[in-house]
Amino acid sequence: MSITGLEVEVERDDGFETEEMTLNMGPQHPSTHGVLRFVIKADGEVMRKATPDVGYLHRSIEKIAEKVGYASFMPYTDRVDYVAAMPCNQGWAMVTERLAGIEVPRRGEFCRVIATELNRIASHLLAVGSMAMDIGAYTPFTHALRERELINELLQELCGSRLTFNYMRIGGCAWDLPPRFGEKAIEYLDHLEPIIDEYNALISFNKIYVERLASVAVISREEAIDYNLVGPNLRGSGVKYDVRRDEPYSVYPEIDFDIPVGTGEAGIVGDSYDRYMVRIREMKECCKIIRQCLSKMEPGPVIAKVPRNLKPKPGEAYVRVESARGDMGWYCVSDGSTAPYRLKIRTGSFAAMSAIEHVSRGLMIADLVALIASLDIVAPEVDR
Amino acid sequence: MTPGAYFNNIREAVTTVFEGMSVTFSHLVRKPYTVQYPDRMPIRVQDTLPVRYRGRLHVDIEICTGCLACQRACPIECIAIDAAKDPKTKGITVTRYDIDLAKCMYCGLCSEPCPTGAIHHTSEFEGACYAIEGLIAHFVKEPFTAYKRKKEGETDPGIKELLDRGLRYIGEFAKPAAPEAKGPSERAGETE
Amino acid sequence: MQEFVDGLIASGALPAGMPTWLLYAAAMLVFGSLVIFVFALLVAGVTSWIERRVWGRMQSRVGPNRVGPQGALQWLADGIKNLLKEDIIPTAADSKLFRLAPYVVVAGFAASFVVVPFASKWIIADLNIGILYLTAVTALVVIGILMAGWASNNKWSLLGGIRSAAQIVSYEIPAGLSLFPAVLLAGTLSMQGIIREQGWAPWDWYAFHNPFAFVAFVIFFVSALAEGNRTPFDLPEAETELVAGFMTEYSGMRSLMFFLAEWGNLYVIGAVVTTLYLGGWQIPHVTDSVILTQVLQLGVFFLKAYFWVFVAMWVRATLPRVRVDQLMVVCWKYLVPIAFINLAGTAVTMVVLHEVPVLALPLRLGITAVALAIVVAFFRRVRYQLRRARPELYLSPVI
Repeated sequence: MSITGLEVEVERDDGFETEEMTLNMGPQHPSTHGVLRFVIKADGEVMRKATPDVGYLHRSIEKIAEKVGYASFMPYTDRVDYVAAMPCNQGWAMVTERLAGIEVPRRGEFCRVIATELNRIASHLLAVGSMAMDIGAYTPFTHALRERELINELLQELCGSRLTFNYMRIGGCAWDLPPRFGEKAIEYLDHLEPIIDEYNALISFNKIYVERLASVAVISREEAIDYNLVGPNLRGSGVKYDVRRDEPYSVYPEIDFDIPVGTGEAGIVGDSYDRYMVRIREMKECCKIIRQCLSKMEPGPVIAKVPRNLKPKPGEAYVRVESARGDMGWYCVSDGSTAPYRLKIRTGSFAAMSAIEHVSRGLMIADLVALIASLDIVAPEVDR
Repeated sequence: MTPGAYFNNIREAVTTVFEGMSVTFSHLVRKPYTVQYPDRMPIRVQDTLPVRYRGRLHVDIEICTGCLACQRACPIECIAIDAAKDPKTKGITVTRYDIDLAKCMYCGLCSEPCPTGAIHHTSEFEGACYAIEGLIAHFVKEPFTAYKRKKEGETDPGIKELLDRGLRYIGEFAKPAAPEAKGPSERAGETE
Repeated sequence: MQEFVDGLIASGALPAGMPTWLLYAAAMLVFGSLVIFVFALLVAGVTSWIERRVWGRMQSRVGPNRVGPQGALQWLADGIKNLLKEDIIPTAADSKLFRLAPYVVVAGFAASFVVVPFASKWIIADLNIGILYLTAVTALVVIGILMAGWASNNKWSLLGGIRSAAQIVSYEIPAGLSLFPAVLLAGTLSMQGIIREQGWAPWDWYAFHNPFAFVAFVIFFVSALAEGNRTPFDLPEAETELVAGFMTEYSGMRSLMFFLAEWGNLYVIGAVVTTLYLGGWQIPHVTDSVILTQVLQLGVFFLKAYFWVFVAMWVRATLPRVRVDQLMVVCWKYLVPIAFINLAGTAVTMVVLHEVPVLALPLRLGITAVALAIVVAFFRRVRYQLRRARPELYLSPVI
């Protein structure tokens, strides 16, 4: 059968002549996380090659930075990764502060960390929820989103918005914690931890789920490092690298937390199940971090004095922050004016997209969906 | 596959399915989290939102000082103000203050530098219109002289009410500690 | 139903001179259409509403509750909406096959209602090969799905159709093998016959007759889920992979036909499980009135069958989907060998119990007790989940 006439004859070992199908997992698809496109060459269910096609969500955010200037660029950084917007805010604030030599007050750093970790929990909840939905279980998705709603409400009280926060400013944070925020946050964390256990009982340890993900799309340690994977993807392959621990910034050196690493508990180290469980465990670590921050905070200002039209000295700076999707790099070149000369954002999802073509050889189409979900690729980060 | 692994698979399948089904069954007796907006709400959602919520922008034009700080701060240039210094009265005459709400990205950068809190976010989030021209909000009905803060305090009760509310709004924003302050004098941050 | 028509001929309501086979055929058509239009379509529609409400509560949300009281007319609104939609047929699609496919699927589903019993006297045709006919007719659905997948001229639909064909054909084997223990125990293939051999008490049901029949009952339910394209075996319509699988190109009423067949099929699965293993419409003798007994039997049968519909919905809410090769592994490596062992085991048990009849009742009571223990353990686990999560409770189904 040749539907389009473009099929290629496939050589098989058993002498059975078949044709290779070219499928288009188009920009509109229920399970690619955002507008991503894959051109899949498949021999029946088994894929030969899945070529990603990116750019459907490109919004020239890096170019916009050159126009609007340092202080006004903060809302745009929310849109770089709208699922986990706080680390993006922090990255931009940090790179500008490094260029301009501004120091953030201590309480400002604590507020930043609390907001970032809350957002990390929210992002991981969305990631594990949509992964469960892609594998076919519809209930865990709604449960994860229900918990994420509660974080959205907390962050709404903190900064007024549920998704694009614009919470941080150059030199600190825009608002201090509202009254009773600490109590509400701890109440939420007490509520969340048993719910994560319940979530695990519902889906993470389910035999069908484990069978779908164990030993599927294995990315070995060397491959993960070669392909530049970061964050939970890298930790799922067994590499214990976390920017918060290895190149610490802000107040992370004072906080005690573990880095969960994939151990091949259901199959081979570096399979999709490892990456999934790393995210589940990281949520619990975030709870620890938030509790410690809330107990260590002291009263004080949250923002430093910053000139109205900030003009950093000419130079360049590169800053790494640990976003929910891994090490996010912000490279900024300043030429002494109120807007950067060049801004480059390096995101974990882009590297993960480039790894898909190699890893997807020999996988089935159903596994491709599991792979994309386990790499936690979000389209805005890929295309910026 | 060894017989041990075979029976282990069956056992694990049965136990984990049992566990998962008990979780979903337990959800049948829980309260759903759905909020049945807008008709089955005890109070309007707009009244439950926190003070800092960034909804639609509103300008109390009576206390606008014509400083154009909001127009400069907006990252997307959706605020258009025509203000000129009036040589006769030594004040600023504001003839136009338009906000294109279709472009506004609800970031809050305009309300931060406002000296009186004239431009502020309300808790209104329902902003749909039938035509996009309806989304341009015109705040100036006729040209007027911009407000000037009086050193001895505001006496007009109408204006005072707006001014107090505006100052409370911008008081929510964090302010950097003044270099000479040692105690908690100029901190706007809430203590934990 | 045959007796009913005989009664009508004898009382002179129908002309006596006509050939009886013609009268029987006409009566079957009339009753068949009555059952399909009044019962089957209604049940399929209401099942869609109940599924959405049950799903909603299991997912911490509400489900449709606006159209009609508590949303009870939602299915009617969906049906009317689909009738009014534009009928899109892709230009490159094979339009004859494309149009025919939903009707083949619905024909396969509707034809199975001929042997579904409702009460001891209410069944359209008590064929003496009842259960075999059912297995044969549900295989018509495969042809319809393959036609839909191929005729859509869409590679994703084709994948869905092929997956479905492989799945349904493979799972016919454990389903067929697992209904044989009930047939062996009853000695007849006729649906009413199998029910008559059971009793009204749980320990008289075939599910609890011997451990092999219990396992066969579980395997039959799982295979029937796979035949009905329900999660965890819903690859053909895997929404997140193939958009809607073989149904992708269908719009309006044609797609609703597929869904109708799926939901109605749930009831048929429940009915068959109840017939074979759970005592069907058997009730203890409570009244002498014939009509009242029939009505009570209908109620009991319907409740038992619908409970399995609820379990199918519950399973769909809980479990993820298996992959195609894992589907085949589960079928051929796990379900088929165990089904064979059940068949052999049931036969051996029958011989043993024939020799030592005193063992029969203790065995049945023992297995009923085991089943009851499983149910009690389940509710204790539910209570543990509620204690751990400490949620706000809301017990009423009315929201």
